[in-house]
Amino acid sequence: MSNRIPVILDGDPGHDDAIAWALAVSSELLDIRAVTSVCGNQTIEKTTYNAGRVLALIGLDVPLAMGRVKPLVADARVAPSVHGASGLDGPTLPEPKQQPVDKDACTLMAEVLEASEEPVVLVSTGPLTNVATLLLLYPQLKQKIRAIYLMGGGIRYGNWTPAAEFNILVDPEAAEVVFTSGLPITMAGLDVTERALVFPEDFARIRAVGNPVAEVVADWLDFFYDFHRNIGYAGAPVHDAVAVAALIRPEIMTMQDMYVAIETTGDYCRGMTVGDPLNIWQKPANARVILDIDREAFVDLLVEAAEYYGKGGERA
Amino acid sequence: MNKQPMLLDCDTGVDDAVAILLTKHLINLELVAVTTVAGNVELEHTTENTLRVLEFAGMGHVPVYRGAAKPLFCELYTAHHVHGSNGLNNMELPPAKRQAETMPAWDAIYECAKRYAGELTIIAIGPLTNLALAIAKYKELPKLLKRIVLMGGSATGGNVTPAAEFNIYVDPEAADMVFTCGADVTMCGLDVTMASYFTEQELDELAAQGSKQAVFARDVLQNMLKFYRAYGLDGVAFHDPATVLYADNASCFQSERAGIRVETKGKLTRGKTVTDLYSDKQMEHNANIVIGVDREAFLRRVFENIAQYGR
Repeated sequence: MSNRIPVILDGDPGHDDAIAWALAVSSELLDIRAVTSVCGNQTIEKTTYNAGRVLALIGLDVPLAMGRVKPLVADARVAPSVHGASGLDGPTLPEPKQQPVDKDACTLMAEVLEASEEPVVLVSTGPLTNVATLLLLYPQLKQKIRAIYLMGGGIRYGNWTPAAEFNILVDPEAAEVVFTSGLPITMAGLDVTERALVFPEDFARIRAVGNPVAEVVADWLDFFYDFHRNIGYAGAPVHDAVAVAALIRPEIMTMQDMYVAIETTGDYCRGMTVGDPLNIWQKPANARVILDIDREAFVDLLVEAAEYYGKGGERA
Repeated sequence: MNKQPMLLDCDTGVDDAVAILLTKHLINLELVAVTTVAGNVELEHTTENTLRVLEFAGMGHVPVYRGAAKPLFCELYTAHHVHGSNGLNNMELPPAKRQAETMPAWDAIYECAKRYAGELTIIAIGPLTNLALAIAKYKELPKLLKRIVLMGGSATGGNVTPAAEFNIYVDPEAADMVFTCGADVTMCGLDVTMASYFTEQELDELAAQGSKQAVFARDVLQNMLKFYRAYGLDGVAFHDPATVLYADNASCFQSERAGIRVETKGKLTRGKTVTDLYSDKQMEHNANIVIGVDREAFLRRVFENIAQYGR
C-alpha cells in the first residue's frame, strides 16, 4: 500500500466515467479511498445508482457517497442523448453491493482527507459541484489535497455549446471555485480528450481480453460511439479516462502550464474555460492543461487495464 | 474595365496602411471609396493616415469618408502600443493635399451600395461601427451588397484578451449586427491572419524591391514585428493585407461555412467570435470563416502586388 497515491474518485457515471474508474482500479499506482457521485450526465439518483453498479462490476469496495442534488447555483441539466435514460445505458450490470454511506459527498471527502496522512488526489470526471463544496466548507483541508485531476472544459472550443464543455457548463460557479483555489490542477479538456479517440477496432481488442469487465467496457464503448458516430466522430472520445491516464501515465501526453479562468456570464460563453496560452493577461499559471496525447499508447493503456480484470480482479 | 467595385472600411493603422497599398493593383477588385473609423488609433489619425497613404500610393482620387469616432455603446479602446502615437509607427508621410468628404461614412456606404447594386464588396479591416450604423440606418443595405469580407475575430483564442480579437473587442455589438445582417459575410480572423505572416528577412526582401511604397511597408511594420516577437511569433502577421488579398482572390486560402455570433456580455469573453466550427453543438450557419492559407503562395502574391509600384 505504502507508495500508492491516495485518490478520491468523483464523477457522474456516465460511460466514460465508468471506464475511467475501471482504469483507476487497474493501476497499482493508485490507492482509491472513496467514490463520490455528482449530478451531471444524469440526475444524482441515477448517477449514484450507476456508481454503485460500476463499483460492483470492477470490484471496488470503498465508501460511496451521494453528491448534491443540483449544481451550486445553476439548475441541473442532464445528457440523456449521450448516455441514455439511465445515464449508463447499454450492457446489463450487476446491482450495487453496497448502499451509499449516510453522509453527503463533501463530508465523506473531508473525512477521507482528514484521515489521510498523505495529501490526496481528487479525480473529478463530472461537474465540479462536490469539489467546490468541499473547498467552500473545509478550506482548512486544502493542504490535504495534493492535486485535482479533472475532465472538463476546452481551451479552443466547447461541445455542449460552441464555447463550453458539458462538465463546466453544468456548474460554472463550482468550476470557478476550483480554478481559483490555488490547488494544482491538471485539466483534461476537449483539446486532448477529442484526440483520445478509441476506434471500433480498438473496442475489439478490449473485448478480446475476454473477462466480464472487458466485455462490459467494450459494450459501453459501442454504446458511447453510437452517439458520436452520428455527429461525425471516427471513434469514441473517452473523455474521462484521460483524466485518470494523466495521473498514471503523464508521459504519453503534451501539457502546457497556463492561466485558466471560468466565464460565468455571457450570452454564448457561460461555462467556457478561458485559457491564456500566450499569457496576454500576465497572470501566473493555475492549471496544467493537457493539449495532446499519444492515442495508440492511450488505447494500449485501456487494453492493459482490461487485462488486469482477467487476473481475477484481486488487487496486489 | 471588368473589375468589381470595392469599398474599404479601415482604421489606418500600420497593417491597414499596407492593405491600402495592396488595393491599387488587385486582380478582381477596384477600390471605389474608403471609409474611416476609430480603432487602432483615434478617428482624426485614422482619417489623416488614410488620406496620406492613398496619396502616397497614387490613389489620391479615391474619395475618403470619415466615420464613427467611437464604438456604438462602449468607450474607444486603442492600440497605440502597436501602431505608434500617430498610427503609422510615428512615420511622417507627406500631408494629404485634400480632406475627407463631408458625407459621413454610413451614408457613403449606402450610396455606394446603391450605385453598384448587387456588385459592391465591402472589405472592413477595423472595428465594424460604420457598417453597423449603415445597417441600422438603411435596412435594405445588406441586400444591396455582394459581400462583406472582414478582418476580425478568431475561431479559437484572441489577441487583445485570451478570448477576443482586437477589431471585434473594440465594438462587439457592431460586430454582431454585421454577422447577423443577412449579407454574405466572410470572417478573416486570427486563424488565417496569424498564419499570413512575414518574417523580418522577408520584409527586408520586400523593401529590396526598391519602390518607396515597398520600403514604407517594411518600415511601418517594424514596431509590430517587435510586438509579435514578445509573443513568440517570428514575424509580423499581415492581418489586414491578408484580408484584402483573400477578398480579391480566394486561391491559396481555405474557408468553411459556419455559425458565428459575438459574445457581448461575458465578463471574460466580451468580444469573442463564438463559432460552431469545432463544437458538437451547431448554430445557424450565417457566415464563412477563412481558416487556412498557403503562406508561400500568399507571400508571392504580396511580392507581385507591391512590385507593380516599380522601383
